[in-house]
Parts: sequence; structure tokens; C-alpha cells
Amino acid sequence: MPIHKSNLDKTGETEKSLPAFLFEPKDFVPYLEAWEWQQGWQELLIRQPSSNQAIWMLQHQPCYTLGRGATTNNLLFDPAQPPADLYRVNRGGEVTHHMPGQLVVYLILDLRRYQMDLNWYLRQLELSLIDVLALLGIEGRTINGLTGLWVEGFKVGAIGVGCRRWITQHGLALNIDCDLKGFEKIIPCGLSTHSVGKLSNWIPGLTIKEVKPLMQKCLIERFRLDLQKRDNFRAC
Amino acid sequence: MTEGKIVEWLKKPGDKVGRGESVLVVESDKADMDVESFQDGYLAAVLMPAGSSAPVGETIGLIVDSEEEIAAVQSQTPAPTPKSSGQTAQIKQSSDPVTEPAPIISNPPAVSSSSSSSSQAVVSPSGQTTFVNNGRVVATPRAKKLASQMGVDLSRVQGSGPHGRIQAEDVQRAKGEPISVPWVAESNAPASLSTIPSQLVQTNKNPQISSSSNEPPAGKSFGSPGEKVPFNTLQQAVNRNMELSLSVPCFRVGYKIITDKLDAFYKQVKPNGVTMTALLAKAVGLTLARHPQVNAALSSEGIAYPSEINVAVAVAMEDGGLITPVLRNADKTDLYELSRNWADLVKRSRSKQLQPDEYSTGTFTLSNLGMFGVDRFDAILPPGTGGILAVGASQLNVVVSKDGSFAVRRQMQVNLTADHRVIYGADGAAFLKDLANLIETNPEGLAA
Repeated sequence: MPIHKSNLDKTGETEKSLPAFLFEPKDFVPYLEAWEWQQGWQELLIRQPSSNQAIWMLQHQPCYTLGRGATTNNLLFDPAQPPADLYRVNRGGEVTHHMPGQLVVYLILDLRRYQMDLNWYLRQLELSLIDVLALLGIEGRTINGLTGLWVEGFKVGAIGVGCRRWITQHGLALNIDCDLKGFEKIIPCGLSTHSVGKLSNWIPGLTIKEVKPLMQKCLIERFRLDLQKRDNFRAC
Repeated sequence: MTEGKIVEWLKKPGDKVGRGESVLVVESDKADMDVESFQDGYLAAVLMPAGSSAPVGETIGLIVDSEEEIAAVQSQTPAPTPKSSGQTAQIKQSSDPVTEPAPIISNPPAVSSSSSSSSQAVVSPSGQTTFVNNGRVVATPRAKKLASQMGVDLSRVQGSGPHGRIQAEDVQRAKGEPISVPWVAESNAPASLSTIPSQLVQTNKNPQISSSSNEPPAGKSFGSPGEKVPFNTLQQAVNRNMELSLSVPCFRVGYKIITDKLDAFYKQVKPNGVTMTALLAKAVGLTLARHPQVNAALSSEGIAYPSEINVAVAVAMEDGGLITPVLRNADKTDLYELSRNWADLVKRSRSKQLQPDEYSTGTFTLSNLGMFGVDRFDAILPPGTGGILAVGASQLNVVVSKDGSFAVRRQMQVNLTADHRVIYGADGAAFLKDLANLIETNPEGLAA
């Protein structure tokens, strides 16, 4: 078997890969449904610690979500009459916005299999996004203190994580080719001075379909995953 | 990270909290962590309200065992203000299952594996030799690229690769400030926050020690490198007892006991639920019955001879400290019953359900580290008692028999620590000789 040069760098070479299921629903997934899936899988990993980890890659119809501790001051609309569905969910961070054309990745990972360190995990998510962009020839960067992914001063990737007994949920969202108008109604992540961008600004015509395999590749490498695609997920 | 923000208390003061139930949510950066209680009890007081940021190590709330204790704690707790954990510990003293005496350390099988405990994140130094960069930076291409991307100065990064080569992961580690691991302390200790300090800081401070965080730590640690962790109430109790022991004039006397017969007998009775702890406690109990002086202790009026022979056995607790559950009337209680009692005591000490008389009425203490293979150690005498026996592992040795022939035998080294005001060297030696005789010649007698 040929040894790829990129493999030589890995300290984790001897570590065996960790199985994870990958779910890629074709249709838009209602936010609450995806949230339910995640909670269910998190519960599964808590109750049966040897279970497979799981990853969802999907898209949502326009909606807004608030982290558990998020302030509503960053909503530029009346929370009682939101322009799209508004949810407060069990993740960290301020308000964010999902919409078609944005690749949402939910990761139910057991950090006890990696490092029991949320900051480490956040950095890994950022690095995964940097890896994806590098494969696209875009230089993404992180900004210390501003978790997320930035390209030329525009925020293209958002990160938010919830964790219970070291089992994660939520994850990241990467703006690929989406309508950014919805962001005008909020102060995304509470950062009023930063603007939001999408990758199609740099690579016109880029689609989610093209990015997905890159995202998979980068997550597989970053989290030593043995990713097994599964067609259906039935929450049971 | 030096502090965590309390996003939300999921429980109100006075609420019942179940083991495993989320009590509060702590946020740092973009990550939320549910903080769960490790024990059943009641949230008595919230010391840091939602929205506030708690420095690492700060007491943020108090959990008590019973509903009755809530009022007591609340009356002594002012409105939410930071409190030192010392004060908190005092408040909670009334409800503490504080151990009485405590020998230096012990670890029955029941509590031996702790590294998997879910919410205590421990980054521990690995025993591995590491290399320090001497000016010249050796790094993998990926590490170099990462370092430039992340703005990490490679000359300050400790490499974990071959010959100290800096790997991509080292750069990440150096960059990342690992996040605090909130935990609700077990025992009755107050809830507190603990953290893993930045690896970079650690690397700079102590370049000889590298953390290989992917490996679970082999030994137990209640904190992380660079961190200061307050003692929990159990640990404080042990500390007090250990310091008290400094005023006791102790001596030590050792004996090697051949255990081939004991081991064979243990194999026979093990299927019936008999444990080595019960066997040893029984043997010690029977021998103490013939040597009441070794079961005695100092009192203000002179030498106190207890009416019972109660063998306390030290059990290390997962979250620090240790407790000494007592096998009462170890001389008179049937071996099988002793084994059952022991299993029950261990189980309940792990869930902090022991009654005070179940851990504070020992007249003699047994501390066994044999399961770790140590050949010998000496224990610290628990105050209020006259002696403690430290038991090492049973190991194969070449032994010269009485007739001058050589034989390979299993030998176990025991070491008695005793208060010389009560127990003299000859008393201790005679006790050990008798104990050895019982174990070497008539272990079946333990079940009689």
C-alpha cells in the first residue's frame, strides 16, 4: 500500500480510526427535527458509551437560533414576531442564521475518545473549516477570541457547540452559496463590526454538492473517523 | 481559560438534584457544557448567579445530602457572593461523611479504576522522555504551516515527535487554551470549577514534562498540571487526621508471611463470594483477639481496651480522600458474612451513604496495596487507634525451610505501625508472629 506523504505528519498514525455514521438528508430538514436527532444520538452515546458517533450534513430552511446564554439584543426584530422561525437551543454562542445554501454540519462526538477539552474541540472545528477552504484554494483564518472562520474579513463559517458528559452536539455552518440578507436582521454572533460572507463570493457557482465531499475528507482526517454513510436516520 | 460564564442554573435552591441530572450550564467561548451532579441531594445555595463569570476554582453552589440541611446552609450563606471554599467546607461540616482515621493510602479493587470517570478532565504528564528545542526548530511541514496560520511561535513549542520534532498537534496544543471542565464535586464538597491550563504555559514552565493528552492518565489526579485544586471535605478530614498522627510516637515492625496456603484457600472460597480483604480482616481479627494489647488505644485515662474488635479497612475515594469502612467484630463474624458486609460497605462508601459509626468505629486498621504489586509500605497511624497493618503483595520468593531446604514460596510482607505508648515492640512482634502462623498453617480456620 502506498504511503501518502500527508500521512507522515500524523502523530495519530498508530491510533485506530473511530467509527461514525454519516447522514446526509437530501431534503431540507426542519430545525427542530434535526435538533431532535442530535439529542437522541447524544443520549444514545451517553447511555451506551460504545456506540458509533454520528455526523449530519444538511441544510435548513431560513431560521434563527440563539445559544442558551444569548442575548436578544442582537436580534434586530421583535422576538415575538420573527421574520423566520426562531429557536433558543442548548449550544454556546449568540444568535445565528441558517438558510438554504449553507452547509450545516452537526457532530455528535464523544470527546472522551479525543480530548476532554471543549476549547480543543472548537479549535479542531475551526481547523477543519480551514482545511476545507484550503482544498478550495481559499485561505481561511481564525481570529483569536472570535470563534468561527474568516476570509478576508468576512465571516463565512460559524461554530456553536453544546456538550453533555463530553458528548457534543450542534457543530458548524459554512456559508457556501446562500442568500445573506437574513443576516441583516441580526447582529451575527454579536459581532456588529464584522460582515458575513459566503464562499461563492470567491468561487462563483460553488455548490454544496461540491463542498460536501471535501468537508467529509477534512472531518475524517481531523477526527480520525471511519465514516460510514447511512441513508436513513430514524429517531427511535 | 481562567473563568467560565454561568449561563443558567437549571435548578433553584431547595430543588432536589438527582445523580446525573444537570444542575447548571457553563459557557466558554462558543461551547456550552451541562454540569451534572454526581450524587443525589439538594441544591442548598447558589453562590454565583446566572450571568456571572466564575473564576476557576470558585465555589459556585452548595449541594447537601438532605432537605433538613438546606436551611442550615442557607442561614449561613449570604446572598450570592464569592466565597472561599474553606468557608463552604466549614458550613458543610455537619453533613459530612468525614472519615475518622485514615492511613496513608489504600486502594481496594472497588475503587481502583478512576481514569474513566466522566467529568474530570485530566491532562497528566506522561512518563515519556521528552526533548527540548535548543534554539533549532525542528518541525514537520504541516506543523510549520499551521504555526504560521495560527500565529504560533515554533521556538516556544514543545515537540512530541521523534527527537522532539514538532508535530501539527503540538502547534494546536500550544495554541489552544483548553477549556475549563466544570464539575460538581462529589462527597459534600461544594460545586466548583476546575480547568486545564494552557499547554503553552505549562510547556514554558516545565519543559521536561510533556503532556500527551491522548493517553488517559495512568495515575489519579484531581487537577491538571499548573492548577491548584482546593481539598474536598474528605481530603480535609484525612489531612487533619494525618497531621494529628505526627504527635504520636510510632514504631514499625515488619514480617514476611508465606501465603501459599492462604492463596490456595482463597481460590477455594472465592466462588462463594469471599474476598481477600475479608480473609485478611478475619485473620487480623482472630489474631487481635489473642493479642488485646494490639487492639488497644491511648486515652486520657490510660490504655483503652475496646470491647469489640473492629477492623477498619482503608478505601481510597474516586474524588480524593479516603474512608475506612469498619468490619465490626471481625473475630466473631463468619467469613462469608464478613465478605458480604464488605461488599455492601464498599458499595455504599462509593455512593457516600455510610453512617458515621460505619467508618469511625475501627479499633485497628488494615491497609492493603497488594493488588498493585507493591512489596511493602508503611502506613500512618489513624488517631484514636493503636495500630495499622500495611499489607504488600504476595510475591514468589526463595525461602529456606526449617530443615534447611530451599523452596519457592509466595510471601507477603506486612508492616505494623503502632503507638509505642500503648503497644510495645514485643507486643507487635508477637502479634505478627501469631498472624503469620495462622495464615501460614491454618487458613481454613478463617472459615471455621
